[in-house]
Amino acid sequence: MAMRSQVYEWNGGRDTAITTAEYGQQVSIFIGGFGNNITKPAETTATQFVVVEDAGCDPTTYGAGAAGTDGILTGQRAYVQVRINTTDYFLDPDNIGNDGIPGTASPYPRTVAVQPTFTLYPDVYVLPGQTWDVIYKMYGSDVTFAAANQQAFVKYTLYDGPDALIANKLLEMGISVNPGNVDWYKRTLISGATSA
Amino acid sequence: MAMRSQIYEWANLAAAGQTSSIRRVTASDAVAIAADTDIDVFIGGFGNNITKPAETTATQFVVIEDIACSPWNGGAVQVRINTTDYFQNPDVTDQVGIPGLGSPYPRGAPSTATGTDNVLSSFSLYPDVYVLPGQTWAVIYRVRTAVTGSTSATTTGVAAFVKYTLYDGPDALIANKLLELGVTVNPNNVDWYKRTLIEQQHAAVTTGGSQ
Repeated sequence: MAMRSQVYEWNGGRDTAITTAEYGQQVSIFIGGFGNNITKPAETTATQFVVVEDAGCDPTTYGAGAAGTDGILTGQRAYVQVRINTTDYFLDPDNIGNDGIPGTASPYPRTVAVQPTFTLYPDVYVLPGQTWDVIYKMYGSDVTFAAANQQAFVKYTLYDGPDALIANKLLEMGISVNPGNVDWYKRTLISGATSA
Repeated sequence: MAMRSQIYEWANLAAAGQTSSIRRVTASDAVAIAADTDIDVFIGGFGNNITKPAETTATQFVVIEDIACSPWNGGAVQVRINTTDYFQNPDVTDQVGIPGLGSPYPRGAPSTATGTDNVLSSFSLYPDVYVLPGQTWAVIYRVRTAVTGSTSATTTGVAAFVKYTLYDGPDALIANKLLELGVTVNPNNVDWYKRTLIEQQHAAVTTGGSQ
C-alpha cells in the first residue's frame, strides 16, 4: 500500500464546538482546538510525499433579504487555505495571502444548488519533511449559527517508501505526480531491467 | 511552487457604512451598485478589494481559466488586459462580458435573487485568457439592473469569481516560450516542455560521452 488515497473530514460541531468568537480567525482543521482534531500537525516523513488534490468547505449563497441586514447570505462565508510550512498557497493578485478557496466555489458537501466552480489543478505537493495544514476561516452572517454546519474536507494521496522516491524523481523530471505516472515510471524501470 | 492554482472571490459586502473594505471583514453589509457601471472587482471601491491593481511582474505569467458571477440583476463579468476588453460584440464594439446566467457563481445558483431554480454553466472559458509579463489585468463586474444595498427596503447580495493559474520564475519563462511556439499554456504543456529540455540535455551528455 505505497500509494494511498486519503481523506480528512472536519466538522466544527464535534468535540469542542467552534463558536462565533472564531469569526475572522484562522482555525487549523487538524490541530486548531475546535471540532474533530488529530494528535499532531500533519507532516511528511523523509519517506513520504503527499499530493493534495481537493479541498472544500461549507458553502454560502447570496440572494435578497430584508433591509439593513446581511440576511442575504445562507452560510457563514467559509474558506479553506492550504499552508505548507509557513507559506500560504493561495494569494490575492497583490501577492498577499488570502483566505483560500471559498466554500461557494468548492462546496462540501456538494449539492444541486451549489456545485463546484473550482478544481485544484495543478495539485499541491507536500515534499518529504514538510509540515502542512488546512486552515478554515469563516466571516459570519445573520444566519443562525450551528457549529455542526461548519465543515471542511481535504482529499490527498499519500506516497510512501519507494513510491515517494519515484514521486520525487517525477518532480525532478517535471512530470505531474499522480498514481498513473508513478506506475508508468515503475513500468519503465521494469522494461529497462528486462531488456538489460 | 512555480505553478499555482489561484482563486479570487468578490462580493458586494463591506464594513457597515462603507462601500468597500480591503480584504474581507466579519460584520459586513451589502453595498448598493448602480446599473451599467463598471466595477473592478480588485480595486473598484465596492465590496472586498485588494491594495493595488492586479498585475504581473517581469517573471510572472497568468492564465485566467474561469470567471463567473451571480446570475441575477443582469450581472456580467468582463476581463480587461491593460485597457483592452477581452469580450467584444461581432461588430467589434464593447459589451458587458460573460453573463452570470451563462457562467453562474456558484453553479446551481437561482436565476433571480429570490428564485428557487438552479442555473448551470453554459460557458467554458476556452481558450484561456493570457496575461503576459508586465501587463495589468482586471475583472469588471457590471449589472444592468441596480443592486440595492443595506439602506434600501430590500438588500441584494452579488458575487463574482475568477480562477487563474500563476506561473512564476522559470515556469513563466517556459510559458512565454510555449506562447512563442503556439502551444497552449497549461500545467501539462509546461511539464512537457521541461521534460523535452531534460531529454535534450541527456542526449547531449550521451553524445558527448560517446565521442
